[in-house]
Amino acid sequence: MGSSVSSKPSLPDSSARFRHHLPPNDLRRPLVNEISQQLVNGLALGAVYALIAIGYTMVYGVLRFINFAHGDVFMLGSFAGYYLAPRVAQWFPLPGWAGWTLVMVLSMVICAAIGILIELLAYRPLRDRPKLTVLITAIGVSLLIEYTCQHKAVFGASQKAFPDLLPAGVFKLGGLSFNTTQFVVLGVTVVLLAALTFIVKKTRIGMAMRAVSHNASAASLMGISNTFIISFTFGLGSALAGAGGILYGMTYTGIDPLMGVNVGLKAFVAAVLGGIGNLPGAALGGMVLGVVETFAGGMSGVSTYRDGIAFAILIIILIFKPTGLLGSKQIEKV
Amino acid sequence: MQLFLKAPRALLLIAIVAAVAAGLCADLMNPYYRGVVIDIGIAIILAVSLNLINGHTGQFSLGHAGFMSVGAYVSAMITLALRQSMGADQLAWLFLPTLVAGGLVAALAGLLVGVPSLRLRGDYLAIVTLGFGEIIRVIFQNVEAAGGASGLSGIPRMTGLAWTFILAAVAVYVVASLVNSTYGRGFIAVHDDEVAASAMGLNPTRYKVTAFVIGAFFAGIAGGLFAHHKTSITPQVFDFMKSFEVVVMVILGGMGRTAGVILAAVLLTLAPEFLRSVAEYRMIIYALLIIFLMIARPQGLFHFERRKRSSAA
Amino acid sequence: MSATLLELKDVTIRFGGLVAVNGVNLSVPEGGLIGLIGPNGAGKTTVFNMITGVYQPTAGSISFRGSPTAGLRPHALTKGGMARTFQNIRLFGSMSVFDNVRVATQVHRPHGIREALWRGRSHHAGEKEVEERVMDLLQVFSLQDFRDEPARSLPYGGQRRLEIVRALATQPKLLLLDEPAAGMNPSEKEELMHLIEFIRKRFGMAILLVEHDMKVVMGICERIAVLEYGIKIAEGTPKEIQVHPKVIEAYLGASALHE
Repeated sequence: MGSSVSSKPSLPDSSARFRHHLPPNDLRRPLVNEISQQLVNGLALGAVYALIAIGYTMVYGVLRFINFAHGDVFMLGSFAGYYLAPRVAQWFPLPGWAGWTLVMVLSMVICAAIGILIELLAYRPLRDRPKLTVLITAIGVSLLIEYTCQHKAVFGASQKAFPDLLPAGVFKLGGLSFNTTQFVVLGVTVVLLAALTFIVKKTRIGMAMRAVSHNASAASLMGISNTFIISFTFGLGSALAGAGGILYGMTYTGIDPLMGVNVGLKAFVAAVLGGIGNLPGAALGGMVLGVVETFAGGMSGVSTYRDGIAFAILIIILIFKPTGLLGSKQIEKV
Repeated sequence: MQLFLKAPRALLLIAIVAAVAAGLCADLMNPYYRGVVIDIGIAIILAVSLNLINGHTGQFSLGHAGFMSVGAYVSAMITLALRQSMGADQLAWLFLPTLVAGGLVAALAGLLVGVPSLRLRGDYLAIVTLGFGEIIRVIFQNVEAAGGASGLSGIPRMTGLAWTFILAAVAVYVVASLVNSTYGRGFIAVHDDEVAASAMGLNPTRYKVTAFVIGAFFAGIAGGLFAHHKTSITPQVFDFMKSFEVVVMVILGGMGRTAGVILAAVLLTLAPEFLRSVAEYRMIIYALLIIFLMIARPQGLFHFERRKRSSAA
Repeated sequence: MSATLLELKDVTIRFGGLVAVNGVNLSVPEGGLIGLIGPNGAGKTTVFNMITGVYQPTAGSISFRGSPTAGLRPHALTKGGMARTFQNIRLFGSMSVFDNVRVATQVHRPHGIREALWRGRSHHAGEKEVEERVMDLLQVFSLQDFRDEPARSLPYGGQRRLEIVRALATQPKLLLLDEPAAGMNPSEKEELMHLIEFIRKRFGMAILLVEHDMKVVMGICERIAVLEYGIKIAEGTPKEIQVHPKVIEAYLGASALHE
């Protein structure tokens, strides 16, 4: 039936597809350099995973289900950037920092709105239904977004080249060299994670989120509006996915309507890896997965199995530590 | 189901005779329709076998296409190897053993996937089975002998109406017979409450692994039929979407209701054919339909009265 | 007294830093009716879960019918002759009343996949035998009229009874009842006491009764052990327990005021 996970371009696994991958005049680096460069690439990829993984983990925290459509929200973030860029460029020059910031913020807002809308239309009518039903609905929403976007009247199925948003350049930090994009990807991720941590830990609404996540019915008895918190959670997670979409677009040339499937699945793996429901865990899981995948992709003999690696890690983790790297042990009540 | 319980073996025999008769008249049919009917038969095997894992035993598996691909590849590779040394007539005699071989290897994969299911439940299990399906696919993509990413082609077209429906009847018989026995009620008990099942002396591990192995076996058989029906297979065919289609059949059929699941398999195989005229909107409509049905009819398409499990022994 | 059926020796379990049960000794003779009481959170259900193999004790040993149970999973213990009910009823909700009991008979049946698939003479004979046994049991507990109802549609008391029937269908030597009186009104409790005595007489098994409600336990048990904060503070006949100062302090003091 139609297209498939695999027919989508998976994450690029050769440096040829990196836009700013190789700094000039630096083609014969020693091994150490090669390794550190791979580490930077891995961290940049991991940062994108981390941003998306947080959305999965937050939604799982409050609603206990896998929002399969989350990867597609990430894709929509990329496309929002793609279509916004030429319009923003009329006022602010692109590539340029001001224009980039505006594209970033607008995409995040658009994605937040889409996330809230998805919850409102598809998931809210299913509150209190069996998890399986919600999961299938989520997959349905994901398919709906993918196939609608593939239609020629929307984005079309073909790959599009993401516009340059930032001027090219190389940063050196210790022994590592970053290009502008990688530097920004990591920087933005750190800033967003810090902001998120602040919201969740220090604000009233963050406290309410944690309460709902801990025990939704008790929270509701305490006067917390679950409905609002759930909407807020979807908005926040989707905004991060939108940011991830822009950062991904900046790092890799091609974007297409099915890009969210593979990246989304892997980000989910990252969330599970870190212990689902656990925010720092999701960030850590994303980073670990990004680095492992990048190194595996660079090794001959393993590189073709790259797409399987995320799942192999997932299965091993779940068999030996089912609650993830940072998850706590649970004892079943009998 | 009541009828089934009265004379299951006689019904199986009748179904097999009917399948053979249909196979004998198959040449009179328009090849396009014949193809669709075979698709339906394969879908029934897939849905009924997943129903044992998912509907009856409650182990949410999103990796059924993975088991299917194992059966498809193994049987196709056997056929392609045998073809070097024998004619079409001899090959036809070996078709059933070839399919069974594919099913057995798939069952072995089911055993492997069944093991993590002992520790995981719900969404975790779903995502792990999905991961297994993807890993199986990546492996086939990388195995030279399986044709790599371009897959296998030139597989002799040996799947006919007769074999398809004989095997579909066997799959239905096996699952229904199992579940409608004192032993088999254990599958449902494990579904309802694993801790209580264990306290009643039922070994949940055994039941879950058994469900995975039997379910995977028939998925493998369906894969073999599929390979010898389409004549070419690639790893992409057996992706997550394929697994999802089967899951939707089981859910819309009413999770654990054999007749409903069969009917859902028929309808969902026919639906895309009817939507051919609106090809570009086909998948959009399909997705909308799933969302709508999940919201409007979560108990399945054919759920009209209070659920009551038959208790006739 | 007759031979020991179940014996707990210095049984201890820790969850992280918390010692939930500490050095508990307990023995149940064959055919005996023993009560295990204590205030909420005293560790009664935890002891229960260790006996039935849901948890493994951190230290100490449990032996059943003369052999240690360490490492045995719940289903293996049930096969060995132990059966239990749950504090918060755990029936197979989607299955009929009949099937709930039927599935519990499987533990001692020789029939498995092969018979179910072949559906031959022996399968039909076996299923008929099961049906008769199940219907006998349902009749004894006057549940026969509900045989085809889904278990979750039974009224509360009926569900409690069905859980006991289901446990009896495994033909246990030792029946473990986890707070069977929970959520019952006084007249239902009265009925329950008669039921427990009746079961013991009719099926001749030992019963270990975990209970929060003092009246139920005092009325029917031969011996009673009292837990508080995971430690056994007293053991004896109901009469001895009633006057035991530690028990009165820990438990009766508060609840006696209520009654």
